[in-house]
Amino acid sequence: MSLLFTPVIGLEIHVQLATASKIFCSCSTDYIGAVPNTNVCPLCLGLPGTLPVLNAKAVEYGVRASLALNCTVRNATRFHRKNYFYPDLPKAYQISQYDLPLAEHGFINITSEDGTLRPIGITRLHLEEDAGKLVHGTSDGRLTGASQSFVDYNRGGVPLAEIVSEPDLRTPAEARQYVSVIRQLVRYLGVSDGDMEKGSLRVDANISVKCSDGRWGERAEIKNMNSLKALERALEYEIKRHIKMLSEGKIIIQETRHWNDSQGITISSRSKEEAHDYRYFPEPDLPPLVLPDGYVKEQLDKLPELPWDRKRRFKDTYGLSEQDSATLTENRDMADFYENCLISGGSPERTANWLRTEVLRVLNENKMELKDFPISSHIIAEMIVMMDNRKLSNTAAKEVFEHMIENSSDLHSAMSLCDISAGGIAGDQLRDLVSKILEQNNDVVRVIRSGEDLNGKKQKYLKGLVMRETRGQADPSEVSWILASLLENN
Amino acid sequence: MAISEQEVRKVALLARLEVDEEEVRSLAHHFDSILEHFGKLNELDLDNIDPFVMDETQTPLREDRAEKWELREDALNEASHRDGDFFRVPRIVSEEG
Amino acid sequence: MDFYRLSAHEICRKVKSGEITARETIESSLERINSLEKGLNALITRVDERALEKADRVDRMLSAGEDPGLLAGVPVVIKDNMCVQGIRTTCASRILGDWKPPFTATVVAELEKEGAIVLGKANMDEFAMGSSTEHSAFGPCSNPWDPDRVPGGSSGGSAASVAAGYAPISLGSDTGGSIRQPAAFCGTCGLKPTYGLVSRWGLVAFASSLDQIGPFARSIEDIALTLQVISKPDPRDSTCNPSKRPDYQSVLDQSSLKEKKVGIVKEFMDYDIDPEVREALEKTIEVARSEGAEIVELSLPVMVRYGLATYYIIAPAEASSNLARYDGVRYGISSEEEDLMDMYLKIRGDGFGEEVKRRILTGTYVLSSGYYDAYYLTAQKVRQIMTSEFKEAFSRVDTIIMPTAPTPAFRKGELLDDPIQMYMADVFTLPINMAGLPGLSLNAGYSRKGLPLGVQLIGPKWGEMQLLAAASVLERSFGPSLIAGGDQ
Repeated sequence: MSLLFTPVIGLEIHVQLATASKIFCSCSTDYIGAVPNTNVCPLCLGLPGTLPVLNAKAVEYGVRASLALNCTVRNATRFHRKNYFYPDLPKAYQISQYDLPLAEHGFINITSEDGTLRPIGITRLHLEEDAGKLVHGTSDGRLTGASQSFVDYNRGGVPLAEIVSEPDLRTPAEARQYVSVIRQLVRYLGVSDGDMEKGSLRVDANISVKCSDGRWGERAEIKNMNSLKALERALEYEIKRHIKMLSEGKIIIQETRHWNDSQGITISSRSKEEAHDYRYFPEPDLPPLVLPDGYVKEQLDKLPELPWDRKRRFKDTYGLSEQDSATLTENRDMADFYENCLISGGSPERTANWLRTEVLRVLNENKMELKDFPISSHIIAEMIVMMDNRKLSNTAAKEVFEHMIENSSDLHSAMSLCDISAGGIAGDQLRDLVSKILEQNNDVVRVIRSGEDLNGKKQKYLKGLVMRETRGQADPSEVSWILASLLENN
Repeated sequence: MAISEQEVRKVALLARLEVDEEEVRSLAHHFDSILEHFGKLNELDLDNIDPFVMDETQTPLREDRAEKWELREDALNEASHRDGDFFRVPRIVSEEG
Repeated sequence: MDFYRLSAHEICRKVKSGEITARETIESSLERINSLEKGLNALITRVDERALEKADRVDRMLSAGEDPGLLAGVPVVIKDNMCVQGIRTTCASRILGDWKPPFTATVVAELEKEGAIVLGKANMDEFAMGSSTEHSAFGPCSNPWDPDRVPGGSSGGSAASVAAGYAPISLGSDTGGSIRQPAAFCGTCGLKPTYGLVSRWGLVAFASSLDQIGPFARSIEDIALTLQVISKPDPRDSTCNPSKRPDYQSVLDQSSLKEKKVGIVKEFMDYDIDPEVREALEKTIEVARSEGAEIVELSLPVMVRYGLATYYIIAPAEASSNLARYDGVRYGISSEEEDLMDMYLKIRGDGFGEEVKRRILTGTYVLSSGYYDAYYLTAQKVRQIMTSEFKEAFSRVDTIIMPTAPTPAFRKGELLDDPIQMYMADVFTLPINMAGLPGLSLNAGYSRKGLPLGVQLIGPKWGEMQLLAAASVLERSFGPSLIAGGDQ
């Protein structure tokens, strides 16, 4: 009988909160690309005599994320010191939370591979401060082999929310999906930019493998996975390693392992000299954090519609397809943009089409974010309304759209510069134009009238001429109707 | 409760304090007498005592506004091994954190 | 001129009236320091030039018709664990080297804002750990009343400075008695305010939940004035009370002890106390009674029996964490070790003195896994009981009178080899820090050998007003503190 192995995975996600200042001092959190040790002050350099003061926004963002993760938020909580020596930790302790985290007992749904929703338990969410950054004096920037390292405290003290999941995940793909749901969520809430590559969202994994014969291997903690892809690959590698060890009857030791992305392996990194002993105790420099009455309720009321709720509503209310609803609710800016278009009168389906095809294409081509998009939702809507009212054809709209992108111009100047008039060419104006085309193509007209255009090709040819002449500004069905009546009527 | 010299060395390493053999001996002795003192606390019935009362004071909250600190040069100059914009440290053998 | 004899109140009044200049005041202080400092070693760092410049500025302000503030031209000495921008701050330790903080402690900024002039940084026990100011990397400080004796500690230099007449006021910090015990040993007044009354921003932490800055002075009037200046709310210290402070000076003249209840602690009356200290205590109780107070006997058994053990778990635990930042990376002494771990061990092994190492190790031990519950958590629970014990006591009395220290100033070296005995010097003071209460030491006379004898008054939380009121009544009977070696 062959053995069955079940991976058991739990994730710890550190999310940098998008506050302007650090969690315990007023230094800027904007450290990406900053000159080293410029966003620092006596406090975040750990100078003697300094004291922490908690950032209200960090609390607000933490509470907001907790509520969206269906957690119970504590009204009274406190901070602890986690003591260990390392050069990126200037006080030699990290102010974190321990026995009374900000929030606990939540869950979030992921979609399993078979399409069903699966709740993943959230053990806790707590607030803490980030550490500084070490640059190692080796050519590859890695620690191993460096004879010296350099410390930059710009990142030290940036607020973090640590989100700990229950060991509910079973596959690397599920883990990946869980992380992308969390990432989407924190972005929706506006509490973090959730960028894994920049390090504003960091994932550590705890993984163990259960064997059908009753054995359950010790867990390994995997660090240094800097993308969703890396997370998936590292977990796949670890699962194989655990299964191999269990199959060979070997003992798996509990340890921390670092993912090496270029080699595609994990490497044990536990220091041998001493076991960790963080000596947690309540931070005496910070009295308990007590949320005022009504604070949690107020934050709950302020929560935006969450992405999955919004997606369902887009499907139900606007009749969009599963795919369109997913695409348009992927991020909050796009969903807001879409709904703003609708408020300005755009029809749900045509607007969805336009955003999904034209707007997203332009964003992708230019690696642009929606907030930097040169055309407002109002103008997009105005264009769509004209199309809805058959005052603008799809072709003309695209031309105007391109013109607006390139020149950041408004709709009406774009239209006049493209020589496209609002309302298009219709009625008597169109009838005159069609008559003129018919006169210029007398020979074709004669063929049609003689009844020899059995498959209607000649008539289509004439319609093409009209459309070209109007540069898409005429309603094709009106053109067909006028053509038919003029050809009959001689 | 007696504390061994081995334990003293372990705690000293945890606290990153270099101690010589003579210090280890005298510290072990000191620990013995002070821990004996501490043992007295077990005479008390502490079952229903909350060690950390939460209702006395509340931590104040600071408005989220970034400010620049102008004296980073002074701070860097206090470092024993300043290296440009960085604080330099010697070889690190093990990862932490 | 002997301006150094003047109180802070007198200096301020005379400087403002133009009777004397701030420069003359400072020059008189510097002269006094020059003649005594070699024997006393009360100051680690002097800043004579800076002080004279600041004095000139006060004088210029006055001639320009501006008000330099409540402490115009008043010389002050600051314990060397409070940061003053650009002035070396050592905490009497080797480990900080010549570190010059790039910021100023709130209390010092407040003093300077009111025209006070910093003369220098006072000697102390390293990182405020000790009761004799012998544990200093800069050598021991002497007691101005007897150079063979200690001034008490850890704020020994601050107490000695005021007792010797360097300055009418100084600042100390008190974690387990470090203001009150040296005040008693040096015959000055010393106040440890309620935890949270005075900002700790810029005070190098020893035990954060116990540390509190307070003034030394030779009169209660000057204590009240200094407290007024340093006790403002401070948004940089999350543990600092944000409420407006009362006018501490307003209670001094009108106070009496009529209809007041003064508590005495039964268990301490039976304690092994030096007979002359006991006499001073009994005399104080008599004065209180004769001033109309009702004397109430209290029982505080937990505080008396368990205070010391509780303190010597909690304070070292916090200290072990607070002192972990001294690693040689960003400030302080340097090492040329090529390995980080070796650097940590070397810097901290060489940089800290014996007593500091003892406490760091004790604190590390009581927090380490397997011992946390037995020691740290247990101590925190006992601390809660002690706090309730005091709360209950203050529902029955307005003030408690007890000794400040079991003995007058002891001889240098006498307790140096017996740390536990040294710890006992704080047995009457440290429970007050554990409960966060205000405590004040007042001179109640002198021993036959001429050593000052202190008594301690304790008030309820935020009870500085009634504490100062009671102290000023007693002071009327005892007279203000004398200047040592002042040929009075």
